[in-house]
Amino acid sequence: MSEPILSVRQAIKTYGDFRALDAVNLDIREGEFLTLLGPSGSGKSTLLSAIAGFTALDSGVVHAKGDDITRLPPEKRGLAMVFQGYALFPTMSVAENVGYPLRVRKWSKAAIRERVTECLDLVQMGQFADRMPQQLSGGQQQRIALARALSFKPDVLLLDEPLSALDKQLRADLQWELKALHERLGVTFIYVTHDQDEALSMSDRIVILKDGAIQQEGAPNELYDWPRTRFVANFLGKSNCIEARMTGRDGDHLIAEAAGHRFAVHAGTGVAETGKGCLALRPERIRLGLPGDEPFTGRVKQISYLGERCQVLVDHDVLGEVLVSQPTWHSGVRPEPRMDVSFGWDAKACVALVDA
Amino acid sequence: MPRSPLRIFFATGSWAILAFLVLPILVVIPVSLTDTAFIGLPKEHLSLQHFDTFLHSPEWLQATWTSIWIGIIVAAASTALGTAFCIGCWFLSDRAATIARWVMIVPILVPPVVQSLGFYKFWVTLGLIDTHFGVILAHTLLALPYVTISVFAALTNLDRRIPQAARNLGAPLILAIRTVILPSIRPGMITGAIFAFIVSFDEIVGVLFLTVRRVETLPKMIWEGIQESVDPVIAAVATILVILTLLVTAAAVARSYAATKPHPS
Repeated sequence: MSEPILSVRQAIKTYGDFRALDAVNLDIREGEFLTLLGPSGSGKSTLLSAIAGFTALDSGVVHAKGDDITRLPPEKRGLAMVFQGYALFPTMSVAENVGYPLRVRKWSKAAIRERVTECLDLVQMGQFADRMPQQLSGGQQQRIALARALSFKPDVLLLDEPLSALDKQLRADLQWELKALHERLGVTFIYVTHDQDEALSMSDRIVILKDGAIQQEGAPNELYDWPRTRFVANFLGKSNCIEARMTGRDGDHLIAEAAGHRFAVHAGTGVAETGKGCLALRPERIRLGLPGDEPFTGRVKQISYLGERCQVLVDHDVLGEVLVSQPTWHSGVRPEPRMDVSFGWDAKACVALVDA
Repeated sequence: MPRSPLRIFFATGSWAILAFLVLPILVVIPVSLTDTAFIGLPKEHLSLQHFDTFLHSPEWLQATWTSIWIGIIVAAASTALGTAFCIGCWFLSDRAATIARWVMIVPILVPPVVQSLGFYKFWVTLGLIDTHFGVILAHTLLALPYVTISVFAALTNLDRRIPQAARNLGAPLILAIRTVILPSIRPGMITGAIFAFIVSFDEIVGVLFLTVRRVETLPKMIWEGIQESVDPVIAAVATILVILTLLVTAAAVARSYAATKPHPS
């Protein structure tokens, strides 16, 4: 693998007793779309701010292409940032906003004009060059902020919850656009969000943070399919947590026992092979059947209709409440409240978690 | 609307108080138009002769000019210092900055006589008594709180991420302040400068303490004029001042109103 474009080593930042960053190590590869995902207070924004140079670390270093930039002021780092709330300059027109980094870099007037037009076209805002930021809608301001950040051709773009102030439909549209822009420009994106859908839909790699530490990192499908901790299993999508007893290893998987049944489970490194364990099971991996069809039997407690999917809460004597998610358009069992049903899952549908 | 006795009582009271506040100011206008050679209401007809005297008296014009240029320097100096102070506090935005802001406003609460006494003692030591510089310095200190109040009001509306964005895009701190913060808070600075000018222009207590003969400002001329003579030219000057003050205050209010009004979106 080539040298990372940015790397953070042993980053620590405390505010009084609060540990915002707790010895974080992170490498960012050139050209990737990396998302820092976590709930508020997880340290994701602090980490981005430390990379941008707005937050001084208590200890630890930040490297850019091998150079130590830990003590460099923000204006010398050459990392562009799109801020939450956009932070457009209210006294400048759209064109002046986008041209600002170029004026600071003393480009010629003609070159600035050309580049501003190019960047505004890139975000389809060409006809708004003479407007003032206050005259634009949220989504339009977002595009201008993006054009402004990209105007000086940075290698890395930092995005701090850029879509959080927009409504749902516009957010979905802009997610597609951001992803397309990333592929087209080849710029490295570091994206901070608390929204798991945003993270899953756009990222090449997701880093999940909790309490200032990295919980797990990997491609979206890796994290979704094989969560390592209870936190990741529940933060990224929904999971059933099944208490089980591990009875040993069989090849590349472990054997678990719960409610009188033995089954194979997927296990990553660091999982206890014997004794009490906790399994994560995605609701959509559970099959529903009539009593006798599947190994476990329970009673439907509640049904929640979501349009394309339907969520069914099934009560089981030992396992407790089990959440099942079914497509609404299917040919199997149609559960009703208080109906007796059976349920089961394929081998290795469950993932053994590290924190039992 | 029912006309209860209580209501009539309070309405009459309000108007009486308002008249009491405004009439002494307005009375200078007819007095300034008097045709007599002493202070009093016009006897036979209205006359602009005392305005004419004012405009042709070198002493009066000299004092007016002195007050104007001192006021302009005070406005410039206090706006520069006050704005620098506010931006510094805004960047710090911690407890110390909050305390500093309160300390800055204290001069408004101290009685002018006490303050002038303090200036006097200190200016004697510094050798600034009866100098223009001494007056400018004192007036700048008196005007600073007004500037800081007005500039802070403008800064609280400014997103803290805006200077961050400027720096992220390549502007060093000073350039970011000059290109991004100052233009955004300009309405507050201009309002502050206008107030600073007014504070200096009609300040009398400090001037009486700090000057003898060499420095002659307009308020001091009026004060001395009323003690030595009953020349109605004083009323003419006062009338000009009332009108000018009204105009400048209206401009300042209009500015601060425009600054706080949200932009149409």
